[in-house]
Amino acid sequence: MSDVVEKTLTALPGLFDSQTGAAKITNRLRQLIKSITELTSKHEEENLIKKELSAMKEQVSSPNTTMKQMREIMVRAMYCEMLGYDASFTYIHAIKLAQQGSVLEKRVGYLAVSLFLNEGHELLLLLVNTVLKDLQSTNLIEACMALTVVAQVFPKDMIPAVLPLVEDKLSHPKEIIRRKAVLALYKFYLIAPNQVQHIHAKFRKALCDKDPGVMTSSLHIYLQLIRESPDSYKDLTGSFVTILKQVVGGKLPVDFNYHSVPAPWLQIQLLRILSLLGKEDQSTSELMYEVLDESLRRAEMNHNITYAILFECVKTVYTIHPKAELLEKAARCIGNFVLSPKINLKYLGLKALTYVVQHDAKLALQHQMTIIECLDHSDFTIKRETLELLFRITNAQNVTVIVEKMLNFLRSCNDEHTIIHLVGKVAELAEKYPFN
Amino acid sequence: MALEKQQKAFIAMRFMLLFSRQGKLRLQKWYTATAERDKKKMVRELMQVVLARKPKMCSFLEWRDLKIVYKRYASLYFCCAVEEQDNELITLEVIHRFVELLDKYFGSVCELDIIFNFEKAYFILDEFLMGGEIQDTSKKSVLKAIEQADLLQEEDESPRSVLEEMGLA
Repeated sequence: MSDVVEKTLTALPGLFDSQTGAAKITNRLRQLIKSITELTSKHEEENLIKKELSAMKEQVSSPNTTMKQMREIMVRAMYCEMLGYDASFTYIHAIKLAQQGSVLEKRVGYLAVSLFLNEGHELLLLLVNTVLKDLQSTNLIEACMALTVVAQVFPKDMIPAVLPLVEDKLSHPKEIIRRKAVLALYKFYLIAPNQVQHIHAKFRKALCDKDPGVMTSSLHIYLQLIRESPDSYKDLTGSFVTILKQVVGGKLPVDFNYHSVPAPWLQIQLLRILSLLGKEDQSTSELMYEVLDESLRRAEMNHNITYAILFECVKTVYTIHPKAELLEKAARCIGNFVLSPKINLKYLGLKALTYVVQHDAKLALQHQMTIIECLDHSDFTIKRETLELLFRITNAQNVTVIVEKMLNFLRSCNDEHTIIHLVGKVAELAEKYPFN
Repeated sequence: MALEKQQKAFIAMRFMLLFSRQGKLRLQKWYTATAERDKKKMVRELMQVVLARKPKMCSFLEWRDLKIVYKRYASLYFCCAVEEQDNELITLEVIHRFVELLDKYFGSVCELDIIFNFEKAYFILDEFLMGGEIQDTSKKSVLKAIEQADLLQEEDESPRSVLEEMGLA
């Protein structure tokens, strides 16, 4: 497949003539952007855009406007909306573009629809037939586009109309179609879970798909299902552990590596799933200890993504049924984060401590010097996270000091949300320790 | 209402914004249904908050009931809003992965590429971050999907044979 793409890509320059097509089409957008950058006041920008929009209004209503021109107008419309102006008169034309345009025009039409319209928008109903048609197209690019838009904005009530077609795509020979179908079903599950009850068996098939991309997308659904009802999926623990083992052991195609780390997002999904399955369940937890140990061991490199995986690992280790050696390793990990000069890691370390402190108060004590330093940190975010942590380790001895620190922070705080949140915490503490 | 709340909580990424140092919006993708006027307000507020951050500060901050993860690449700020409990570092890497994809696609990407070809940037974003969830597919397959559609860019010369050659029609 990639040889063909390579061959076609090298033949590309010959197909295009820089005098026509692309240059002309993007010219008006470029003109518009250039004109806007040259203006100096918001008022001038408003005038220019208003003129532009009224010209566009005329063009979209004209019967002589071709789909090609409509595509160009749609891009300008998206641009205007991004700047904050209303171009809602183009919405219906976006749908028409997706309906009547050639593949490239359809692509822009679908994009405009996904940007302009929300799920509940009545115009979306007009898109359904187009989606149905494209889902059945022999041109797979069109089918992909339809699946992409379905996974983003689709009216809940029309799900029954497309469901059979989407289900059908689960067994398509091309992995990209299978993967997008799974994601569409995930979306359906989020907005209308009853509609997809009957196809859980098909999700299992997706989980066992030979293509790692398809398998990964099924995990979104599983994470959701398991969140809602972990007991129903305990029997899958072994499978998830096996997959994680294979990923961590580097058994996936090299292409899935991100900075030499194998499929990090997949690892994290799996860790989250395992954490839900092993919670308060000793026998299930025991199935995971080995792979968690391996993950902690393997994530040794100095890259942000490794730290992200470690963080998730640590969370999992502390959530499931405790195992001493793992807890020790995880605690060391947290220590490294908290002591790190890299501020993002310090933040993560504090966050981890907050999470962990109910299981292991000693750990916070071990790092109290650093915590005290962080209290006076110039970065508001760090300060706040530290206060959050302190709130968790408050006891009768230190409550006065801690509340004082919180009040100090409140005095210099501007964010309404934070203020409300912290005042609530102070009130809680006042109730708990009435004699300070 | 309870079900709505439950569903709301499970969509990890609420939105992603790209904006310049001067506060000009370059890209916005919303993963939850939000009213236009609320979007405008949130964007305006958030840009101010992020632009006020000093360089040595950490890439995360709390804003309203969300966590904001942001990173500046040259003149562009990439900014994601995620749910409170989420792993912020992972979101930082989502941003980085997006930048890498843009870089590969445009060849040493700069803000101008994104300004003048924003719809391409959207196509790439949608391919690798579907509904706010990263797809962890290989970098190759994300870009391949975009390039294949791009190949139909300049009309009717021979899209048919190109498609047939690729076994897609």
